[in-house]
Amino acid sequence: MIATVTASGLSLRYGGTLALDEVSLRLGEGVTGLLGPNGAGKTTLLRVLATAVPADRGSFSVLGHDPGTTAGRLDVRRALGYLPQTPGFHQDFSAFEFVDYVAILKELTDRTARHREARRVLEAVGLSDVRGKRIKRLSGGMRQRVALAAALVGDPGFLVLDEPTVGLDPEQRMRFRELIAQAGEGRTVLLSTHQTEDVAMLCHRVIVMDAGRIRFEGTPAELTERAAGRVWSSAERDPSARAGWRTGTGAFRNVGDPPAGAHLLEPTLEDGYLLTLDARTEVAA
Amino acid sequence: MSDDRHGSDGGTTSGESRMTWHVPEEDIRAYVRGELAAPLLWSADTHLAACGRCRQTLADIGDPVALDAGWERLDAELDAPRPGPVEWLLVRLGVADHTARLLTASPALRRSWLGAICALLVMTVVAADAVRAGATPTLFLALAPLLPLAGVAVSYGPGIDPTYEMSVVSPMHGFRLLMIRTVAVLSVCLGLNGLATLALPAYGLHALAWLLPALALTATGLALSSRLGPVLAPSLVGGGWAGLLLVARMNTEPHTTLAPFTAAGQGVSGAVAVLAAVLLYLARDRFDASGLPFSDFTDRNAA
Repeated sequence: MIATVTASGLSLRYGGTLALDEVSLRLGEGVTGLLGPNGAGKTTLLRVLATAVPADRGSFSVLGHDPGTTAGRLDVRRALGYLPQTPGFHQDFSAFEFVDYVAILKELTDRTARHREARRVLEAVGLSDVRGKRIKRLSGGMRQRVALAAALVGDPGFLVLDEPTVGLDPEQRMRFRELIAQAGEGRTVLLSTHQTEDVAMLCHRVIVMDAGRIRFEGTPAELTERAAGRVWSSAERDPSARAGWRTGTGAFRNVGDPPAGAHLLEPTLEDGYLLTLDARTEVAA
Repeated sequence: MSDDRHGSDGGTTSGESRMTWHVPEEDIRAYVRGELAAPLLWSADTHLAACGRCRQTLADIGDPVALDAGWERLDAELDAPRPGPVEWLLVRLGVADHTARLLTASPALRRSWLGAICALLVMTVVAADAVRAGATPTLFLALAPLLPLAGVAVSYGPGIDPTYEMSVVSPMHGFRLLMIRTVAVLSVCLGLNGLATLALPAYGLHALAWLLPALALTATGLALSSRLGPVLAPSLVGGGWAGLLLVARMNTEPHTTLAPFTAAGQGVSGAVAVLAAVLLYLARDRFDASGLPFSDFTDRNAA
């Protein structure tokens, strides 16, 4: 993998919490998933990489630019598309006006070129037909697509998406995944999520974070492989399991160290993720 | 683009029966060359979208490549946001269209906010006019400097500007955006304060003693916000101003001008305004990234 984004020893403390603890990573072209539970440090890492907040220690580079300098930070921002976890909108703007506004913030001052770009990105996310509609009248999924369109303005080489599928219904989520997959062609995308399906369907690489540290970095297949031979089914919850939950068949699916003679199951990405977090969780489903 | 530039020949076809003017040929030639500047360009774009006769003229004059570029501009124009009256006025006054859009997107220039300011000023002016006590309208002079301070405070920052997080990571320098919005808010607030001042002619120039304190408070609030954030800094400055006036009141005979509104007090306000402006400029890079606590971001799940 040719690294387009690299980070080394990023640390950031706020209050009494170490939000990032010596985080180092390498990203390449395509979609990389950033998995982790709430409070793992995903959003903090994304904000640091997006230059929204500076790290206390460590360094990183984006597409060869060093954000540690004023000129380098400007170059990073010119190469960046950022979709925050809760994108804010000027509610009275239309979708077109909002994207146009973001384009101004991205230094597209020529009116004709700016409007052309706004049309392009709105078309890319399938919102051409509602571009004149006020944002407050759009559905949640459409607003999220407006925010993605804004992030795509200027054809950024590095796209940072913070939990973009949260709150979307299954159909909207599928539509959004298609858009992210398209966006990942030819650019580096870092996608924060706590949904393993997002990673399984979209990502060629995955990073697992917990408590401010990176617990795993590799391919989804490698994460799944971590659970090989460590997933089994049982009629009742197995107390020796690190995590266990009832499946649709009524049987329990357990992950951890299986007892002798256990009925082993094919592992999934979720199993590998749970084992990586090394948490003793019980989920009743 | 005025009608007299275009004439009203009345020679319209059925598809353009409402057209009362047409784009002059020289403007169409400039349009084809890409040399027609705004706002003439926008008028031409809008007109061409609706006028078959001018489109035909365009087709006759233009070469195919330039014509394609013209159509592209036209397509873009059809989607163009319609500027509100303030934005329209700013552009007519020569402000670049992108700057005008940034100015008018300032949260503090929303109708609700402006309405509140106007209501407050009217009440204060009415009170000052009804109860004449001393040479200065003290309540008005105490309140007026706080309005631009508060207006600027609600123009920029997490929790206030819905697009704050996107703005922070945009290539546009945070300080430049802050200054654009400050100019917008200051212009409006100072203008409204000025109108209120005109409504108090009995006090003469004394009624203008809010101006320098307003500049001093706003500049100090901005300078401190680089370190304390956009909520705490103006709150402290506003509180400090109220405290100063209370102390001045306690040390001044009734119906006598309070110290901040005397000539000496005005001089101090002017000096503070200049000093704060210099400090603000020196701290400009601190507005380029959020040094604020994460809890100040407007998301659900900060860490």
